[in-house]
Amino acid sequence: MTNFIQHITFIVLILATFMAGSEQAFAQENPIQIPGGSFHSILPEVEGEPIEVEDFYMDELAVTNADFLEFLEQNEEWRRSNIPAIYADSGYLKHWKDDLDPGENVKPYQPVTRISWFAANAYCRWAGGRLPTLNEWEYSAQLMDFDSAEEMNEFANELMGWYSAVDVQNTKTVGSTDIENRHGIKDQFGLIMEWVEDFKPPISNEISLDCGTVGRMQKLGNTYSYAASVRYITRMSFNPKMTTGMVGFRCAYDAGKTKQQAEKSL
Amino acid sequence: MRTFIKTITLLTFLVFSATHYLAHAQTTEYTIDGMTFGMPEAEVYTEDYDGPAVVGETITMLPNLAPLDYEGNKHHDIRMDILAQEIEVADGVRYRAWTFGGTVPGPVIHVKEGDRITFTMQNRSDEIVDISEPGAETSPYLKQISENPFMNPEGSIMPMPHSMDFHAGTVAKDDKWRTIAPGQTIKFDWVANYPGTYIYHCGTPSVLMHTAMGQHGVVVVSPKDGYPTDDQVDREYVVVQSEYYLTKGPGELYQYDFEAAQARNPSHVVFNGHQTVLHDQPLKANAGERVRLHFSNNGPSGTSSFHVIGGIFDRVWLEGHPFNEMRGMQTVLVGASGSATIDMIVPEEGKYILIDHEFADAEKGATGTLKAGPKK
Ligand SMILES: [Cu+2]
Repeated sequence: MTNFIQHITFIVLILATFMAGSEQAFAQENPIQIPGGSFHSILPEVEGEPIEVEDFYMDELAVTNADFLEFLEQNEEWRRSNIPAIYADSGYLKHWKDDLDPGENVKPYQPVTRISWFAANAYCRWAGGRLPTLNEWEYSAQLMDFDSAEEMNEFANELMGWYSAVDVQNTKTVGSTDIENRHGIKDQFGLIMEWVEDFKPPISNEISLDCGTVGRMQKLGNTYSYAASVRYITRMSFNPKMTTGMVGFRCAYDAGKTKQQAEKSL
Repeated sequence: MRTFIKTITLLTFLVFSATHYLAHAQTTEYTIDGMTFGMPEAEVYTEDYDGPAVVGETITMLPNLAPLDYEGNKHHDIRMDILAQEIEVADGVRYRAWTFGGTVPGPVIHVKEGDRITFTMQNRSDEIVDISEPGAETSPYLKQISENPFMNPEGSIMPMPHSMDFHAGTVAKDDKWRTIAPGQTIKFDWVANYPGTYIYHCGTPSVLMHTAMGQHGVVVVSPKDGYPTDDQVDREYVVVQSEYYLTKGPGELYQYDFEAAQARNPSHVVFNGHQTVLHDQPLKANAGERVRLHFSNNGPSGTSSFHVIGGIFDRVWLEGHPFNEMRGMQTVLVGASGSATIDMIVPEEGKYILIDHEFADAEKGATGTLKAGPKK
């Protein structure tokens, strides 16, 4: 029952977050346009594949500590000492020295991590966008060009290795992984994991985190889909208050609301 | 319109997960054949805790087994946190393991048939935890680790969702064995209804990856009426077989080899988590003694044909249940997550090699030594 009450609170909070965002210019100079298309979801519940994704824009890079600092400067309520406990657990930005001081060990161009889903959401609203949907994020992640199936497998193998050895204490700077999709979206892999809008996809809980889930997700029957399943399952176990050194985010923007248009409307 | 659709999607997702919470009704306790079923609902919460990662009087480091010095049954309060820890598994082979309590395998928990356990576990994979500091007052395990840091464990950070699956418990997995995110704590009760040696492991998908990364250990549940030879046993040890699937990473460390794990082609097959620990620190006995081995094969995927070179198993209780008695066995076949409780009489002074008689695995490390002194 306690869980249920928590859940209702959660729903109210989410709706509040959605309504609260005041629109700003894009935080990143040139979000990249991803032309719509379709992709194969590995979720066993998704029928009638492939999944269609409309045109959208997404940040080239993950949001950095420097970006987030700017957001905090303008939005007091999201600073470490102000954020209400309902929006983030006690690990929120705990690696920063102070509210507005990341300190010497936290580099400006490292991706910001230890931020809750609520905070990521608020940031993207402020930046004039929103978090990418799970489908948008995964669609973009599949837009990688490989010369052969072997090359794809090799990449996925490295990815599995990365998931087993994420080095939170030495997070690289954004743009440094040399991994990018065919439109130039960088570091979707190999840097951090990222929040998406609907990180708990609407699927039946009966199977979402069971031992059988991995098997049911192997629709593509290759290492690439195995790596994707690890990503889906990890996300599904998150809760929106959670903050960890492995999870950061980047923002997305609706098509038809390019930078120029957004600036015009300001 | 798009916003509307998104809101609907979001609401659907919320309703789905809300129904899930409602589905966890409180259960009531009941007994069948003297066994207790129907545990209260697990609690999941966050806490500010920086105390010892392992707490409990009857928790020890392999190959030790804590003595049980109480009559009747006992209620145990056990804590075992999830920690990322860099450890050594063979000479020069270090990797950042996902662990229960800081080592691979995790600590040995000893309870008695019918005991109740209140278990607490925090997912501390997102913070550095030093387990080699003495903590004798909270569990013999921490003291043993600090005195014998064989794996040279070093605190590490690798935030991941994890869970606990005690094979020794009889509960619904969607409640007690549920996955918790970094920072969360889960607390639940279970009763050790059946005697025997049982593995525990992380059940979060990919279960193969989580177990292979190091999240497994054993619970020894001693039968309430004992085994027939209890009063003749001179020494008691716990031996756990398991496999690693490791490959050299980009730096000095090794990391998980997905393809090898899928192909069941381990890089190392080990006893008690390290390729040479049971040679460097042999089990000790004397000629004429009855040695009891609680042997468990924690896998994740291999089988074991457990044998001791120079010995014949006087008694074997398959899975450790006193009703499953066999005698005079040369080899015990133990599948992944199976176990056996074995009595062996040490014939004479000398060296006895514990081995997986599937020799391909023996040559990847599944061997150890029992060193016998003269008859006393
Ligand atoms: Cu796990």
